[in-house]
Amino acid sequence: MTSTDTNQQSLQDEIADLERQLKDAKSRLKTAPLALPSTTPPNDVALHALLLLSDSALPLGSFAFSSGLESYLAHHRPSPPTSSQVSSFHTFFRLSLSTLAGTALPYVLAAYREPNLIERLDNDLDASTPCTVARRASVAQGRALLAVWDRSFRTHYSSDSPTNGYPTPIDALTEFQSLIRSSSSYGAEFQVNAHLAPLWGLITRVLRVPLPDAAYLFLFSHARTVISAAVRASVLGPYQAQAILASKELQERIRSLMEEMWERKVEDAGQTVPVMDLWVGRHEKLYSRIFNS
Amino acid sequence: MSFSNPFAASASRPGYGEIVISLLPPATPVLKTLSYQYPLKLIAPDAIPLPDARNTDAPTLIHTVFLLTYGGGLVAGDTVHLNVTLDPTTKLILLTQGSTKIFKTPSRDVVSGQRTNVDFTLNAALCYLPDPVQPFEQSAFEQVQVYNLKESQGSMCVCDWVCEGRSARGEKWSFYKYTSKNEVWSVTKEGKKRLLLRDNLILDESGKVASSLVDRMDGLGVFGTIIIRGPLFESLGKYFMDEFQLLPRIGGRKWDTGTEEEELSLEEVQRLARQKQEASDGLVWSAASIRGFVLVKFGAKEVEGAKIWISHMLKSEGSVERSFGERALHCLK
Repeated sequence: MTSTDTNQQSLQDEIADLERQLKDAKSRLKTAPLALPSTTPPNDVALHALLLLSDSALPLGSFAFSSGLESYLAHHRPSPPTSSQVSSFHTFFRLSLSTLAGTALPYVLAAYREPNLIERLDNDLDASTPCTVARRASVAQGRALLAVWDRSFRTHYSSDSPTNGYPTPIDALTEFQSLIRSSSSYGAEFQVNAHLAPLWGLITRVLRVPLPDAAYLFLFSHARTVISAAVRASVLGPYQAQAILASKELQERIRSLMEEMWERKVEDAGQTVPVMDLWVGRHEKLYSRIFNS
Repeated sequence: MSFSNPFAASASRPGYGEIVISLLPPATPVLKTLSYQYPLKLIAPDAIPLPDARNTDAPTLIHTVFLLTYGGGLVAGDTVHLNVTLDPTTKLILLTQGSTKIFKTPSRDVVSGQRTNVDFTLNAALCYLPDPVQPFEQSAFEQVQVYNLKESQGSMCVCDWVCEGRSARGEKWSFYKYTSKNEVWSVTKEGKKRLLLRDNLILDESGKVASSLVDRMDGLGVFGTIIIRGPLFESLGKYFMDEFQLLPRIGGRKWDTGTEEEELSLEEVQRLARQKQEASDGLVWSAASIRGFVLVKFGAKEVEGAKIWISHMLKSEGSVERSFGERALHCLK
């Protein structure tokens, strides 16, 4: 069976590639100022979780969102309508990644470091998301991630939590879930939302993915989502898209964004590209749409 | 009313200012405290009687305070602190006289700043529509506005905007750093705080990966946020939301040839005129209704275009002028 052989081969390649990434991230972990305690689990536990979360089949519904790309392209139509939008895409791509790092990454890091703050972090991120479209996208994916945890991951991770009297990250997660179910703790103004960023931090902590990897994957997944939206909006070809994802430039950008945000407090998270709020907010005003954001 | 010792040691410090509007029974709002120290200067013209006094229970005087700085701006390293307290049912208009200029700093670490803190009590209201901040080339500025709403109560209409610098001298977002953070907190009786809204704009040229500020601003010369909340501005918020829904679709086409002349109402004619003006001023905006607020974001090529737009929106809705008087729109002229 040649087809299964090639499948096997490509899977092995993928694994080798991811292992390289992991090793890379691990070496970064050593240099990171706020490094984790040395209780990191054996390599393959974290690797396995990382593979689960990086799988494009993870049912978060990310494919439905373009994070403002569709709206941006509509606001920047090329003068001859047939000319290429690739350079427009590159500008947007860069801005979009900085925006996500500036607004959401501090919440990923904070929820990972202090799981018990999840409820407050969720509220504060909600208060800091100024536009309905972005909010909808973040909550939809956050709830989906929570559902994946609940239905698929939970039974495999609950048993081995160390109980030394303190509430564990899993406890924090369980409590947060029950808050969502009751969802009337603070009245309508303070509804529990389940935004993606803090939940990503908390769940990667529970799955024992090292923090630098969790943060790297958070930004990488966003990059992948935007690039895949560009392919479906016929701005990029599939090979072009893979080339951007594989590029050294993207790796360096993710790394330096992580560095810049590593010690940023959530109180100081903010919008570095103000027009992004306009583009994302005006997505609802597009005449025709193929994405939800 | 407590007796205050006229010989008490002054608690004020350089750059600090305080405004307290309290309520003299039965229903007269008075400017109880107005203090300030260099480089901050506060000027309170005579309070204006409420133009619409149908509601006899409501206070009949609207106080206005102009927020000024010596030299019309902040020199590197200057920091200004303003504390405002609004007693139940009082109203305050905060204004500026011309844009707040942020002068060049000798080093990017010497940052000037402004911190404004406003405490609201039941049914207090603030209308704060200043001129934009104008950061000059090689300036560094950080401002924080904190609004504390007791039990989530209170009405506010606040505009926070910044322009590219001295356009006439060709400055285009060429400062080192400008950040502006707006926070609205709900404060319970016990003093517990919970965040209702945080709007944090960070324009820092030294960021490692972000593109240059000019690239990030995408051709805009001014960018701002309007925060609207509370019973007094409910109809204003709704107006922004409705008008946003009625904006023409982006990339839409007009399929009919437009041969039949439709009869347009006055409102529709004004709307079309405003939308035409928006297009010629390069004004783009969006509105979102979230967590009891209506949050409006706007950008335009020039300050003038943005002023025309805000003033048109506020005037055609009308409630700001009705409940605060014409003076509230002073900076938008």
